[in-house]
Order: sequence, then structure tokens, then C-alpha cells
Amino acid sequence: MKIPTKKGKVLLLGLTLFSFACKTPPVPSEVDRTEVLEQALWRAGASLYAQEEYALFRTRLTSAKRKLGQEKAKFGWFRNYESIRSEYRDLVDQGAALLAEIENQKASASKSVAGEALSLKTRVDRLKSMTGYFNENSAVRKNLIQADIKLAEVDILLRKEQFETVQTTLANCRLFIEKAEEATAAVLSRYLEEDQLDKWKKWTDETIGESRKKGIVVVIVNKLERKLTVYRKGEALASYDIGLGRYGLSDKLYAGDDATPEGKYQIIRKYPTSIYSKALLINYPNEEDKKAFAAAKKSGLVPGQADIGGAIEIHGGGKDSLTKGCVGLEDRDMDEVYRLTETGTPVTIVGALSVEDSILAEIKKFRKDE
Amino acid sequence: MKGWTKTLVLVLAVGLVLTGCKQPTQLINDVQAAIDEVKKAGADKYAVEEFKKLEDAMKAANDEIATQDKKFFKKFGTAKDMLAQVKTEAEALKAALPGKIEAAKTAAIRVQTEAKTAIDEAKAILEKAPKGKGTQKDIDALKADLAGAETAFAEIQTALDAQDYIAAADKAKAVKEMATAVVDQVKAAIEKTKK
Repeated sequence: MKIPTKKGKVLLLGLTLFSFACKTPPVPSEVDRTEVLEQALWRAGASLYAQEEYALFRTRLTSAKRKLGQEKAKFGWFRNYESIRSEYRDLVDQGAALLAEIENQKASASKSVAGEALSLKTRVDRLKSMTGYFNENSAVRKNLIQADIKLAEVDILLRKEQFETVQTTLANCRLFIEKAEEATAAVLSRYLEEDQLDKWKKWTDETIGESRKKGIVVVIVNKLERKLTVYRKGEALASYDIGLGRYGLSDKLYAGDDATPEGKYQIIRKYPTSIYSKALLINYPNEEDKKAFAAAKKSGLVPGQADIGGAIEIHGGGKDSLTKGCVGLEDRDMDEVYRLTETGTPVTIVGALSVEDSILAEIKKFRKDE
Repeated sequence: MKGWTKTLVLVLAVGLVLTGCKQPTQLINDVQAAIDEVKKAGADKYAVEEFKKLEDAMKAANDEIATQDKKFFKKFGTAKDMLAQVKTEAEALKAALPGKIEAAKTAAIRVQTEAKTAIDEAKAILEKAPKGKGTQKDIDALKADLAGAETAFAEIQTALDAQDYIAAADKAKAVKEMATAVVDQVKAAIEKTKK
């Protein structure tokens, strides 16, 4: 191999240095980062959440891309990406800030929808629990389950971040809840009448007053609260959960209406054994019931062949039972009530005593909002 | 060369330059129409990513046209190539779309069937449930729940009939969830009677 001359060596060194000095500069890494950000912004729904800012970002990106293209078109040694790098760096900052802002907006929207859904769910659950013991609640339940289905849909839409569609679903859910409230109000409309409540309160006060005055045991049945309370000498001794007939919240009018009578009665017979554990027969129909039945029959409110019925008892068999109009208790509770009472013990059955702290308050509120 | 010949050559040259620099309006309209058509066919619902790419490509082509439009010597060659590419992609998406929609429809019908199975199971189990004083109340309540689930089930078919398969699938999932819950409650109610 021939050793280069001194001149040749200098030329070689010069060429090497020149080629190093004129090396093609790489495309700034910010370019790729901006592309990734642009995709992330689109996926995040930037055109929906930050329309103007996103449009501005894209305009700037287009301009930067054009400049990058122009620079790339230059001969390698003459390329200079410094100003482009700076432009893309700004775009990365702008894009990242925009993405964070969108994520914040989405988190806030999601939180707001989730909050509303939770509030509706609470309303559904409250209505469910308050009307759960109604036997006349099929319209209420039918609407509440549809509200529940809408809430399940809301959950699915939230996961997909479809905040626009979710609003319609929430509105439909509210509609079903309102229908359920309406159905509840229809069942309980009688319970909202002041005169009716006053009458029930009067019966209760008279019965407890009699207990205090005579020092005897009396029984008060509150249909709405689903409670049977035993009083002695005017003081509450014990309270038990009860079950009623299919239309237990209605006042009994005739045989087979599955309603539980309301009025002032007495125990007329005690059965130590019965198909439902023990039983206490009350004197339904009393004089008031007979008058009401006659009037209803006269005005055609009861079927022509209908009889007034009877055999209304307080019996065991369980509070979850669906009676034909009797008052059902758990067997162990029935044992106690049986022990505490005797033939002649007054039994007063009322619809409700107070609007406060009951579903009546909710219904009253619903009606006020209407 | 005589003076009039020079003028003629100049006029022809300027004319040629100006003719070559006209915006490809017809092509733009054609491509936009192809995009609109594919969107109308449901691409923005059933092929979200592909449709986004298409819109992006159209935007890039429009940007290129706008850039050239500002120049004195306009060159629309690149823009035309870009537009042609968008059109090809729009046509490809249009061709692939029925398959994607069919897949969404199949998925929605599958969940609808599952929801129906859950409702039918709840109905059957309710029929078999021992009817007595202790269970009648629960059975009546669950029947009401089931009636509500059946009403909601009808909405799935409405969405399917409207060819809104994504919404149909979402609704079906929700109904299925509820109907399954009813089945569990019926089973629990039956268990209660055994105690």
C-alpha cells in the first residue's frame, strides 16, 4: 500500500473534518412526540371538549409540518432544524396542556354524571325500600326496575365517555322515577287527606286514652308503618312488624277485596292453635263498616253479589305473608301478643298517624314539585 | 421574432401557467362527497378510527390547497395526489363498512338473545316457585320487576330496527344485568320458603 504524501494527508484530514462538520442533522424528536400527542388529543375527543384550542393546535401543527417538509427538501448539509425544533417544542407543550385540560374536563363531566346517577340511584332505592312492603306496588316496581335499567345503561355509557348520550339516558331514568312516584301517590292519595289522618289520630288517642283510664291492654295497628303496638295503661309495651293483604293499604269494604279494615274493634275470640300458629279474631264488620258497605253497595262501588266478609284476624305465619286482609305476624311475636291480650281487648286499625318520617312526606314533596 | 409573435407566446405561457394553477374544485367536491357518503353509511359509528384517519387526510389535503392558494405560482399536484389517496381510502372504507356494521349487529343480537334468555329463565323459575301465603308477595313483586325488564327489552328491538346497533347492545347489556338480578332474587325467594 502506498503511503500518502504530506499533501495527501492534509487533504484527507480536511475531507474528514468537512464531512463531520457537514453531517445531516437528525429530525427533532419533538416531531414524533407531537404526532403522538395529536393522536392522543383526538382519542380524548379534543374536537368536542376544546374545539377552538384544538383547531389552533392543528393549524400550528400544519404550519410546522410544512416548514419541516421544506427543511427536509434541502440538501442534507444545509438542513437546520433549530427553529423547527423550537416550534415543535411549543406544540408539545401546548398539546400536553390541552390534553391535561381535556382529561380534567372529562373527569369533571364524569364526576358530575356519576354524581347525578348516584343521586337518582338513591332516589330509586329509597322508593324501593319505602314501597317494598306495599302489596299494591306493581306499577311502582315496574317503573323502578326500568329506572334501574337506565342507570345500568348510564354506567355503560360513562365507561365509554359518551357524555352527550348519557344525558338523554339520565333524563329517561328521571322519567321512570317520576312515574313510580306518581304510582305511589295514586296508592296513597287517601293517606294525604287531612280529615282522614285526623280521624285515625282521634281513634288512636281514644284507644290509648281508654288504656290509660281503665288500666287495660290495647292494640294499635298502623298499616303504613306496618307496625302493631301493644299498650298497657296508656304506655307502649312492645311493637312488632306486620304483614297485610294484597291491597292492605285500602280500607276493607267487602269479602274478597284483600283489603285490611280500618276502625275500632275488639278481640272477640282467641285461637290457641290455628293454621297460622295462634290467632285473635276481631269483630269486623262493626257498625261503621256495615254502614259503609251499605252505602258503597247502594252507589255501585261494590259488586252486586258481594258480601261484607269477616273472619279478620291477627295471626302468625310470618310478616312477609300475603294475607286476605288479616294482620300477619312472625310466630314468636304472635305468641307474645296472644299472651298479652284477652277477649275484649280493643284493637284499633289505622292507615297512618303522621306524614312526617314516612313515605307520605316524600309523596307530599313530589306533589309540591309537580 | 416579430413583436406580435412574442406577445402571443407570452399570453399562451401565462395562460398555460394560470390554467395549471386552478384549484381542483371538482376533485375536492368528489372526495368530500365520498367522505359524506361513508359517514352517512355509519362510518363515524362503526369504523371510528378509520373514519378519523380519513377526515385527517382530507384536512391535510385542504391545508395543502390553502397553502398553495396563497402562493403566486400555485402547484396543486401534491394536493391532487393527496385527494386521490383520500378518495381511494374512502372507497375502501365504504366497501369494508357493511362487514363492520354486520359485526356490530351480530354482537347486539347476541346480547339481546342473552337478555331474552335471562328473562325467560326468570319467568320459568317464577312459574315453578311455590305459591303460598309466604311467597305470593315476593312472586308478585318479582313479576312486576320482570314486566319492567320486558318493557325495557322492547327498546332493544326498537334500536335494532333503527339500525342503531351500538345503542341496542348497550341497552341489551343493561336489561340482561337486571333480568339476571331478578333470576337471583327468585332463587333467593324460593330458598326462603325451604327454611
